[in-house]
Amino acid sequence: MTGTIRSSAMVDLDAMLKPLQNICIECDHFHSGDCKPATCMIGFASRSLKFALQKGILDIPGASGHIPRSDMKHYFVENIIPALAETCLQCRECRDSHSPDCVISVTRFCLENTILEKNIEYPGSLFMYLAMVKEQDPEIAQILAGEIKRKKNKGRECLESNGHCKESGRAWPCGYTHTITPHTGH
Amino acid sequence: MNKAIFKQSNGMYAINIVSACGVFTPKQFAGLGQATLKCDVYRLKLTTRQTVVAVLNEENLAKLETRLLALGLSVSPYGGTVRAVKACAGNAALCQRALGDALDLGIALQEKYLGWELNKDVKIAVAGCSRGCTDPLCADFGVIARSRDSFDVYIGGRGSTRKPLHGQLLAENLSTVGVFQLLEHVLDTYSNLAHPKERLASTVARLGVRAFAPPEGTFTSRNEQLDDEFLAFISKEGEA
Repeated sequence: MTGTIRSSAMVDLDAMLKPLQNICIECDHFHSGDCKPATCMIGFASRSLKFALQKGILDIPGASGHIPRSDMKHYFVENIIPALAETCLQCRECRDSHSPDCVISVTRFCLENTILEKNIEYPGSLFMYLAMVKEQDPEIAQILAGEIKRKKNKGRECLESNGHCKESGRAWPCGYTHTITPHTGH
Repeated sequence: MNKAIFKQSNGMYAINIVSACGVFTPKQFAGLGQATLKCDVYRLKLTTRQTVVAVLNEENLAKLETRLLALGLSVSPYGGTVRAVKACAGNAALCQRALGDALDLGIALQEKYLGWELNKDVKIAVAGCSRGCTDPLCADFGVIARSRDSFDVYIGGRGSTRKPLHGQLLAENLSTVGVFQLLEHVLDTYSNLAHPKERLASTVARLGVRAFAPPEGTFTSRNEQLDDEFLAFISKEGEA
């Protein structure tokens, strides 16, 4: 028998990295020599995801305790939302067993810090999470819900097509909810 | 060491059979079925400790026990001993939610400590994630995996009685080796500090969990190393 302990292979961490890279591209520090991932919310999230991918793990014990709290850079909501929506889609909805050191949770925490007044203690369910975002900022909650729906619909395209998925290389249905480019044919 | 063989209300005897944390090979399972038929077993019952109780007449007990040994099974110890270890199906081949190899650890713990004589019964439970299907917080020594080769240990839990107790966190982020070392330390401390016939949960309640803490620096946490590695990775120069 083969198998794996809960690992990074269970979720699409690459899909979470791509919208973070898009945020970096628009950052003033990008390619300036001033980029310091350890002190930047987006940099920390990206590096955490890459570390998890490299190690093949989903939980980085202690990682949530190292999230930089002093990043005061300005972030645009429209840039953050696609990344935040992807964390919602990748979340396994562990409910009572939610771990703050899960790399999805770490990423979400970093992203929240850029556009929300305070972090949300993740309730372990997407539905409840959106309700809590709405309590803080109804407008962000609405945009986020719209983005999640849009991404889900893109994923559905894959399930309705025949042949092989171009993004994942898997046979139809590949089961992924793709995020960056829509499926233009199989 | 006493064996878990008890007279029942109907005059027959119950014998408690231990496998590897409730896991049987098909050969063992079929063999057990055949053995129970040969020994005129009246009923079989699964227990909460992942063991199997067979009810049969006294004259067939020895015959069944011999057959059990040939199948790689054993009769559970009873009284002041380490009992059969409860472990969930959390390992690389089975439960998809597992964060660590709980089943393998549980089996290894049982192989080493089953039957160790102590003040009172000591129950060990191992779970592959915090869902805790084996109720590790209700065990004397409860282990919960938190990632690969990383376990948290709770002691002093008690599931039954009128005053159930949840175990208290004793150590975090231990490696498999660390869990073994800590268990040995806890059992030694328990042997030294417990009142006669006092259960571990009561000793912990009386003295506090810190009385069971190993001296500072005794165990190297596997995750301290991972944490250092993570911080180094995060702090590396260059783009995110």
